[in-house]
Amino acid sequence: MDIQAYIESGAIESYVLGLSDAAEAVEVEQLSHQYPEIKKAIDAFEVSLEQTAFAHTATPYASVKENLFTALQDEFAQPAAPAAPMPVTAPKTTQAPVVPMGWLKYVAAASVILLISSAALNIYFYNQFQAVNNKYTALLSEKNTLTADNNAIKARYLDLYSNVQLMNDPAMAKVPMPGVPGKENDLATVFWDTRTKDVYVLANKLPQAAQDKQYQLWALVDGKPVDAGLLEVDCNGLCKLKNIPRAQAFAITLENKGGSPTPHLDQLFVMGKV
Amino acid sequence: MEGVKKYSETELVLLLKQRQQSSFSYLYDNYSGALLSVILGIIPDRDMANDVLQEVFTKIWRQIERYDETKGRLFTWMLNIARNASIDMVRSKGYQNSQQNKELTEVNYAAAGTTRVRTDEIGLRKIVHQLKDEHKILVELAYFEGFTQEEISKMLQIPIGTIKTRMRVALTQLRNVIKA
Repeated sequence: MDIQAYIESGAIESYVLGLSDAAEAVEVEQLSHQYPEIKKAIDAFEVSLEQTAFAHTATPYASVKENLFTALQDEFAQPAAPAAPMPVTAPKTTQAPVVPMGWLKYVAAASVILLISSAALNIYFYNQFQAVNNKYTALLSEKNTLTADNNAIKARYLDLYSNVQLMNDPAMAKVPMPGVPGKENDLATVFWDTRTKDVYVLANKLPQAAQDKQYQLWALVDGKPVDAGLLEVDCNGLCKLKNIPRAQAFAITLENKGGSPTPHLDQLFVMGKV
Repeated sequence: MEGVKKYSETELVLLLKQRQQSSFSYLYDNYSGALLSVILGIIPDRDMANDVLQEVFTKIWRQIERYDETKGRLFTWMLNIARNASIDMVRSKGYQNSQQNKELTEVNYAAAGTTRVRTDEIGLRKIVHQLKDEHKILVELAYFEGFTQEEISKMLQIPIGTIKTRMRVALTQLRNVIKA
């Protein structure tokens, strides 16, 4: 079709001024979608009409606006935010409907308060947890120490108990060995099983041996010293030494570590006759 | 043009549809003067024209949901509301009674724009008066007085085909006058 002729036909002006009948209006609308030139011509006429109107404005009575706003008072949006900012650009498409907040804002406020309270409680409980955890660790370590001590004491008790059993055995011969002259404060005791001939020594009171020294027990058999064993450092109490079938006396000397084949008599500490 | 426009039409319409009082106030401040001049083009009585203006803005406010910006400018839409409201007023009994001293006959319509020389003509109506008489009367009767082309054909005793042709020429000339 001849677009220019259509534009010049007056149909557009008729449409814009509202003088077209329904069929003519539909035709213009359809053509305006189809032909940008027609759309442009419509816009141009609208703009010039508007400019004409604005070039000749009249001043309404002040009462008109007052009456309008009084009459429409209840139809305005409630000013939730009094100075609602005008959008700089508005979307072309229709805006999603604005849902009034209503009770939702109280729910939102409550949620925020709950969140803050929860966070505060978390911090509080975490601190509590840390303190309790530290105490627990300390207690656990103390308990381990006590258990170890307890086990050591129990072992020592069992040792002592078996020692006491041995010492109280009627078949056990007790040979006290007092300190020799110059070492009167020292004391040791030999327990000699008369059935098995096993020899046990109790170091009641002997000076601490030096690192490279060790006490050695001797049995005097027919006037000759026989090695009866070494007192180990880790033996606290009744120490089982060698088996001595026969002896008239026992003595202890301090020898080099590992013991000697013959006793150094100048290092004699205690001695006792059977 | 009165005042400095702060919003685009799109923004303004969006805010009106959201029922924002401030946008309606803005609309009134910016468009009431131009619309009143349109109303005065049809209803010369200032008191009545102001009443119609109030009615027009009430309609604009309540019918803004119906405005479709893809079909035309906001002002064009409001202009048509103002024109229709004015013509309705002119045709109402109340208006007829107030104009009882004037003859309300076809003679009056025929005389529109020809014999009556109005000194208070403003806006579009003033421009229409620059048209040739045979065109002017058609625009007067159709646009300012709201008669259909059939009614005008009977009134002027001119065949409807001729009315249609002349009306189109008249409107094309009107456009050229406005553009000039």
